[in-house]
Amino acid sequence: MSSVATEPAKAPKTSKDWDMAAIAPFIALALLLVLGYFANPNFVSVANILNVITRSAFIAIIALGATYVISSGGLDLSVGSMVAFVASLMILFLNSGTIADPTLLLIAGMGLTIAMGAACGLANGLITTIGRIEPFIATLGTMGIYRGLTTWLSQGGAITLRDRELQALYRPVYFGSVGGIPVPIIIIFVTAAICAFVLYRTRYGRHVVAVGSNEDVARYSGISVNRVRTVAYVIQGLCVAVAVLLYVPRLGSTSATTGILWELQAITAVVVGGTALRGGVGRIWGTVCGAFILEIVGNIMLLSNFVSEYLIGAIQGAIIIIAMLVQRSLMRK
Amino acid sequence: MTEPETSPLAPLLEAVGLSKTFGIVEVLKDVNLTVRPGEVHAIIGENGAGKSTLMKILAGNQPPTRGEMRMDGEVVSFSGPVDAENRGIVLVHQEILLAPDLTVAQNIYLGRELHKGIFIDDRAMNEGAASAIRDLGGDIDPNAIVSRLSIAQRQIVQIARVLLVPHRIVIFDEPTASLTPHETEALLKVIKDIRAKGVGVLYISHRLPEVKEIADRVTVLRDGRLVASHPASELEPADMARLMVGRDVAKLYPDRQAAAAREAVLQVAHLNVPGYAQDASFELRKGEILGFAGLVGAGRTELMEGLVGLRPSRGAVRLNGRPVDFRDVHTSLKAGIAYLSEDRKGKGLLLSKDLRVNLTLSSLGKFVGALQIDRKRESEALDQAIRDFDIRTGRKDILAGQLSGGNQQKLLLAKMMMLDPSIVIIDEPTRGIDIGNKEQIYKFIARLAEEGRSIIVVSSEMPELIGICDRILVMRSGRIVGEVTGEHMNENEIVQLATGVKTGEAA
Amino acid sequence: MRRRTFGMAAAALAASVAVGPSLGWAQEEKKVTIGVSIPAADHGWTAGVVFHAERVAKLLMQEHKGLNVIVKTSPDPASQANAVQDLAVQGIDGLVILPTDPDPLVNAIQQVKDSGKFVALVDRAPSNNDNSVRDLYVAGNNPALGQVAGEYIKKTTPNAQVVVIRGLPIPIDQQRQDGFDKGIAGSGVKILERQYGNWNRDDAFRVMQDYLTKYPKIDVVWCQDDDMAVGVLEAIQQAKRTDIQYVVAGAGSKDMVKRVMDGDKMIPVDVLYPPSMVATAMQLTAAHFYDQVPVSGEYILDATLVTKENAKDFYFPDSPF
Repeated sequence: MSSVATEPAKAPKTSKDWDMAAIAPFIALALLLVLGYFANPNFVSVANILNVITRSAFIAIIALGATYVISSGGLDLSVGSMVAFVASLMILFLNSGTIADPTLLLIAGMGLTIAMGAACGLANGLITTIGRIEPFIATLGTMGIYRGLTTWLSQGGAITLRDRELQALYRPVYFGSVGGIPVPIIIIFVTAAICAFVLYRTRYGRHVVAVGSNEDVARYSGISVNRVRTVAYVIQGLCVAVAVLLYVPRLGSTSATTGILWELQAITAVVVGGTALRGGVGRIWGTVCGAFILEIVGNIMLLSNFVSEYLIGAIQGAIIIIAMLVQRSLMRK
Repeated sequence: MTEPETSPLAPLLEAVGLSKTFGIVEVLKDVNLTVRPGEVHAIIGENGAGKSTLMKILAGNQPPTRGEMRMDGEVVSFSGPVDAENRGIVLVHQEILLAPDLTVAQNIYLGRELHKGIFIDDRAMNEGAASAIRDLGGDIDPNAIVSRLSIAQRQIVQIARVLLVPHRIVIFDEPTASLTPHETEALLKVIKDIRAKGVGVLYISHRLPEVKEIADRVTVLRDGRLVASHPASELEPADMARLMVGRDVAKLYPDRQAAAAREAVLQVAHLNVPGYAQDASFELRKGEILGFAGLVGAGRTELMEGLVGLRPSRGAVRLNGRPVDFRDVHTSLKAGIAYLSEDRKGKGLLLSKDLRVNLTLSSLGKFVGALQIDRKRESEALDQAIRDFDIRTGRKDILAGQLSGGNQQKLLLAKMMMLDPSIVIIDEPTRGIDIGNKEQIYKFIARLAEEGRSIIVVSSEMPELIGICDRILVMRSGRIVGEVTGEHMNENEIVQLATGVKTGEAA
Repeated sequence: MRRRTFGMAAAALAASVAVGPSLGWAQEEKKVTIGVSIPAADHGWTAGVVFHAERVAKLLMQEHKGLNVIVKTSPDPASQANAVQDLAVQGIDGLVILPTDPDPLVNAIQQVKDSGKFVALVDRAPSNNDNSVRDLYVAGNNPALGQVAGEYIKKTTPNAQVVVIRGLPIPIDQQRQDGFDKGIAGSGVKILERQYGNWNRDDAFRVMQDYLTKYPKIDVVWCQDDDMAVGVLEAIQQAKRTDIQYVVAGAGSKDMVKRVMDGDKMIPVDVLYPPSMVATAMQLTAAHFYDQVPVSGEYILDATLVTKENAKDFYFPDSPF
C-alpha cells in the first residue's frame, strides 16, 4: 500500500517534479534568448550578452541574499537603500584619504564596506527577530532610514569619488575582465556558487529552508529560528556589500536616487527564479537566472523596434507574468 | 444476504460498480453502496483502503473512472462539490476548515452571508448560528472568534456550517479523530438526531466501538475493494478489525513485563507553565512508560512543552539527579529528551520536504563533515530508519506530506530517535492512525522502553494508555490530580479523575 | 537639483505658455516706473540675475521713452524688505522681485500688491503663491530646455542621428521632448529612438549600453540631464565607441559646466535654467504697461545654452550640484 495510492487526489509532488520546477526558469530564459534574436540579431552578439549579464550583477548579487531571506520566511525591502547608504559611506571613506597609500586605502574601504553591509543586515535581522516586527514593516522602516541617511550624507546632491588615481585603480573591478569575461560576471557566479554551497550543502542552509518551510517544525526540532533568520539578513547585507563593491567603480558616485526600487527587482528575480515568496524553498541558480531574465527583458525591449517606449513597462510586466506562467505549468506536469 | 433489518424506505443514493484509477493504480474497485434515509452507514477500512476516495466521489470532488450513481432512481454525475450539495449531499471534513479569525456566525455563513439590502445582516446570522448550534446540542457564543474555541467546539461549528445547506445525505469523515470521549459522545448524539430526521448518514471512522454504537450498517473496504457489508448488529468491533486488516488483530497491545521499581531519571517538582499547568510534580523512572491522561485542554501538552523548553515555565527539573533548565528544544534534545508533538503535520514534519530532510533535521550535526552535509550518510540513515520503523513507502524520494498518517508518525519517531534520547515524550502517538499502524507504534514504544529509555505517553485514548503504560497520571485543569496503577488502571477510574468526579490519589 | 524641482513646480502650474523674447512694440509714451528688487551677486547664478536685470533695464528704457526702471540689489531678506519699501516710497507702478528668501518677504510684497501695484515674482515662490500676492510669476524652464538642445544639434550637426534618453514619464519631460522636436524641426536631424532613463545615472547607463548595441552609428546623444550624462559617458567610454560626436545634457551642474568650459569634445554645451528669467519678468511687466496684452498668471521661459565661451558664467564650484 504505497502512499501514492493513499493520497492520489493531490498532484504527486515528488523531488523529481521539483527538479522540473528548478529548470523552469532556465527554459524561460532560453525562450527569451530566442525571442531576443528575432527582435534584433545584435541581441545575441557576445558584446551585448556580456553587457547585459554584467549590468545584471547588482540585482543578481543582491537577489542571492534575498533568496536566503525569502526562503527563511522573511522579506527585506531595505536593500536598495542599503546599497545607496553603504556605497556613500564607502566613497566618503575613500575621499577622506585616511590612508596615504591608495591600494591600502582601497582595501580598507572594501573591508569597511563589507562590515557596514553586515551591520545593516544585522540591524534588519535583530529588528525582525528580537524586536518581533513583521519583516515587511521592519525593513520598510530601515529602507527609509538608509535612504534618508544617504540623502543627508549627500546633502541632496551627489557623492563622488574625487581621487582620480584611486578611481583608475578601482575601475577595473567593474570594467575589467579576466580571460575575456568581465569581472562582474565572474563575481556573480562565484557569489552564487558560495551561496548555493551554503544553502544546499551545509547545516545552516538546511535550517534556513526548514525555518521558512514551517517555523514550528523547526522550533520543535531544536533549531533556533531567530538565529537562522538573523543570519539570513546578515547574508543579505553581505551580498549588498558585494554589489556595492562592484557599483562604486562603475560611476564612482552615488546620490539620493541610487538603488531606488532595486529591492523590488531583487524580489522579482528571486520569485521568477522559482523561490516561493512564502518561504521554504530556495533556488540560488534560479535567482541568478531570474536576474538575467529581468535584465534581458529590458534589453530586448530596447533593442526591438516594435514596442513604444510608453509601453515598455507594460510589456516587461507581461513578460514576467508569462515567464511565471511557463514555470508554473512546467511544475504541474 | 437480504436486508430485512435495515430501513425499508427507498434508497437515497445507490452507487454501483464505482472504480477509480490514478495512472496505473486502481484505488477503488467495483464498490457498491446504498444510502437509505434515516440510516447511519459506516465505512471502515485502514488508511489507503479507499475510503477517502469513495467519499470524494460521492461528494462530487472527483468523478469515478467507472461505475454510476443513482439518486431517486435517476443516474447522476456531479460536476463538482457544489453540484453534489445542490442535490443534498454534504460533507463534514476531517480537518477543521474554518477561518480562525472570524467569528462563529461569520464562519457558519461564510460565502452565503445574509443580507438586508446592501448590508450584511449580522443580527439574523447570529441568531441563525445560535439556533444551528443549539440544534447540535452545543453552547457556543456566535460572536466568539473561532481561534479561541476548543477543537470540539470548532467541530460543532463546522458541522453547523455544513448542515445549513439543505441536505439529504451527510458524510462524516472521521469526525471524532480529535475529540475526547465526552465530546465524542455529544457528537454521536448529534448524528443520531440527524438520523432521526430521516437524513442518510455516511460515517467514516477508525474507532470501532463508536461505529458499533452508532452505525446501522457497516461496510468494510480493504485495498480499494468492498470486502463486507453487514448490519451493524451482526458485527462486533473485533470482527470489524479482522475484516479491515484481513487477519486477526486481537492483540493490539504488546506484552510487557511491568517495569521493576528503578531509579528516577527525571524528577519534576512544582513546574508551572503560566496559563496552562500549575504545580506539576512527578517522577519518571528508567525504562518505564508513564501515561498522561486527561480531557482535551487539561494542560498535558502544554506541561510537556514547558518541560522541554517550548514554552516559558518555572519549577525544579532534575535530570539524572542534576538540575536542568531548558530554554529551547535545542538544549533539551542535547540533554537527551525528545518531544514528539501531537501536531505531526503542523509541528512535527516538513510536509513539503522529502523523507531524508525530515529524518535528519534534528540531528544534522551528526551528518556534517568538514563543512557540508554528507548526503550519502543521510540516505543510509533513511534506509535504516525505513527498516527499523517499517515506514511503508513505494519510493524514498516522496515528500513527507504524501505518507499516510501512520507512516508519518513512524518517520517522526525515527527522526527523534536519531539523537538517541534517553527520554521520549510522545503526544497522542496514534491520533488519526489506522489500526495496523497503531499496533506497530505500540510495539515500537514498548521496544524503546525495553532498551532502557523512559517514555511519557500523552493520550486522549484511554484504552491505549491502559494498554501500554506502567502508570498513568491524570490531569485536570492544569493540575495533576491523581495517579492510577495496577488494577486501578481502568477507564472508569481515569474518567472520574479527569472530570473531577473523584479527587486525590487513586493508587 | 534645485532648479529641476523648481522647473517641475512651474510646469505643473503653467501649461505651455510660449513666451517670445521680444514683446515691446508699443509707441505710447506713458510714464511708468518699474522697481526691480533682486539678490546681490553673491555667487554665479545671482550674478547672472544682476547682469540680466541691468542689461534689460537699459534695453527697456530705450524702447519705452516714458519708462523708468530702478534696479536694487540686496544681500539678505531684511535689507531686501527695506529695499522694497524704499521702492514703494519712490512711487513705482510695478515691482519685479526675485526674493532672496520668499516667505520672510511675502508681507513686504503683499503691501505693494495691496496698494494696487503690478507685482511680478521671479523664480522663488512663497508658500502662498497665488494672485493675491502677485500678478505674474515667472520661472525658467522645460520646453525651452528641449528646444535649445534641439536647435543646437540642428545647427552643429544638421544631419545627425540622435538617440534620446528621456526622464520620467511626467509632463515636464514631455514638454522637453516637444520642445526638442520643435528645435530640430525642418532639419535632417533624425531621432533614432527615445527611451526613459528616469533621471538616474544607472538607468541612463543601461539604456545607453543598449543603444550602443542596437545602433552601429550614433552621432549625438541628447539626455537632457547632467546626472544621466554621467552614465551615458561611462557607457560610451566602456564601449570604446568613437562615432558619437557629442552629448547634450542639461541643468547646469558644475561637473558638466566644467567639462564645457574645459572644451571637452563630448560635452560641448549644456542647457541651463536661465538666470535671465528676471529679464523676461521685466519685459513682461513692461508689456503689461505698454502693450495691449493682458499679463498675469504664471510664465515659463527660455533655457540658456552653455557653450565653451559662456560656460564660466555658469560654473559654481561651491554648489553641491
